[in-house]
Amino acid sequence: MVTCTGCALLCEDIEVVIENDRIKESRNACRRGAARLRGCKNRLAPSFNKMQTDIDTAIKKAAEILKNAKSPMLFGWSNSTCEAQVKGIQLAKKLNASIDDTSSFCQGLLIERVLKKKFRTCSLEDVRNMADVLIYWGSDAQDSQPRHLSRFSVFPRGESRQRGYEEDRLAIAIDVRESNTAKICKGHFYRIPLKGDREFILALMDALSGKVPKYDAKRILELAGIMKKAEFGVLFAGIGLTYSIKEDIDILVSLEDMLPNFHVMPMVGHYNMRGFNEALFKETGFVNRVKFEGKPVHDNKYAVVEALKAKSIDALLIAGSDPLSSLPRSVLPHLASIPVICIDPCVTLTSKIAAVTIPAAASGLECSGSAVRMDGKVIEMSKVVENSYLTDAQILTRLMEGF
Amino acid sequence: MGIDVGKFMKNPEYEIKLTTYRDIFQAEALENDRFSDEYKKHSATVVMGKDGMKKFGLKTGDRVRLMNSYGSIVVELRESKREEPGGLAFMVNSPWSNALVSDETGGRGIPEFKNITARISLTKDEITKIESLIS
Ligand code: SF4
Repeated sequence: MVTCTGCALLCEDIEVVIENDRIKESRNACRRGAARLRGCKNRLAPSFNKMQTDIDTAIKKAAEILKNAKSPMLFGWSNSTCEAQVKGIQLAKKLNASIDDTSSFCQGLLIERVLKKKFRTCSLEDVRNMADVLIYWGSDAQDSQPRHLSRFSVFPRGESRQRGYEEDRLAIAIDVRESNTAKICKGHFYRIPLKGDREFILALMDALSGKVPKYDAKRILELAGIMKKAEFGVLFAGIGLTYSIKEDIDILVSLEDMLPNFHVMPMVGHYNMRGFNEALFKETGFVNRVKFEGKPVHDNKYAVVEALKAKSIDALLIAGSDPLSSLPRSVLPHLASIPVICIDPCVTLTSKIAAVTIPAAASGLECSGSAVRMDGKVIEMSKVVENSYLTDAQILTRLMEGF
Repeated sequence: MGIDVGKFMKNPEYEIKLTTYRDIFQAEALENDRFSDEYKKHSATVVMGKDGMKKFGLKTGDRVRLMNSYGSIVVELRESKREEPGGLAFMVNSPWSNALVSDETGGRGIPEFKNITARISLTKDEITKIESLIS
């Protein structure tokens, strides 16, 4: 069995057929996972200043850039193994660098609250075995974590849910768009206006405390009733919800406080984003946006977006991420003016502008390692195909040896 | 030689609210090759409800320019298969949608990826290539 790194569900039940050291076919994976397992078409090659070079030279040049930088940042990490993430944090310490990951503009706000135990949460196995009310809020799992509903939430039978979705479970969607997940939640889809989540939460809180909610009173009272009666409710908080209430994220904590049988689970996209958050939290007490200055300092100015806007970094090492794809173009100009080191298995938009590119083994396929599933369970991944690529962790170790 | 007056006439522009979503077919194309036509096809597309398109005199398959003070892209317009009562337009999250996202974050480090205001207008220009989103 192989583990898929297509999303933070880290499905461990994948069967594969291997031919010429590549996965030719896979079974059980979703469409996204199957594509991930086949591997990308364009492998990254080592380069310096856009000229192909050997891996040793690329690593040497990268070490030089980091050594000469006054305020380097190490960024990415959500597609790296836990082992590589720990090395990355060590490297940041050694360099007195800032370190941030994609959770900084994704689910970091929620994961931080989970790790600080502000939210009651649960495992995906608990969901499968016990959950009777499932709320997908600002989350289209069917397209983002495609086997979430079939492996853990809506469709499977569970220990105390032997009659499954037909009788034992109720799935609800709250979203600005009738997503594929919302379609499954027939009759229980609540469409809200863009940025309307806060108002919806306030209306729900009114309903839960016996007041008449300010809008859509009938449906919100009905929803509050369902939530109150839940034996084991789970609110799957998607990125749509997080972005919408980012200025007042603790309102979700207040809502959960009113629902003693409810659990909150942040829906994580990248396979090991939570792993990075946990590793940095263990080391510093913060999940992202940290600068090491003898001791770790946390500040929003160490968020990758803010650092790029403020032009406060003079070199950027990126591992397992493609900020040129995922960040607004309006914050990117500074990237083009500083040396970028890109460590990735594949050619990306970012690798095209990087001063140094270092190819890495694809984790879970070409190297072993561990990762943290969206609910916090550690999943071990084994090497599946033979190859000669260095792992992220080995590259980072060699970089550290260069100082 | 006559003057092509139409060439100098600007197509009407309409303001729209745009949000982004995820799509498994686009995610598959991304895993496979982010420089492929397949990825471009799934990303460089804007979806609108029937009523909105009618109001603006636009139809499925039209090439439209989406622009605001942060960027400008050309994408293909498609009619939504669902009801879109809020009049919102939708794009799958990608470097194309990111070209329109504001750099305003209130110092909090999270851009408004899903809350975009842009102007839409019919165009004959080519669909924006991914390479031009890097430079
Ligand atoms: S749901 Fe996620 S982990 Fe599972 S097969 Fe699909 S992409 Fe891979």
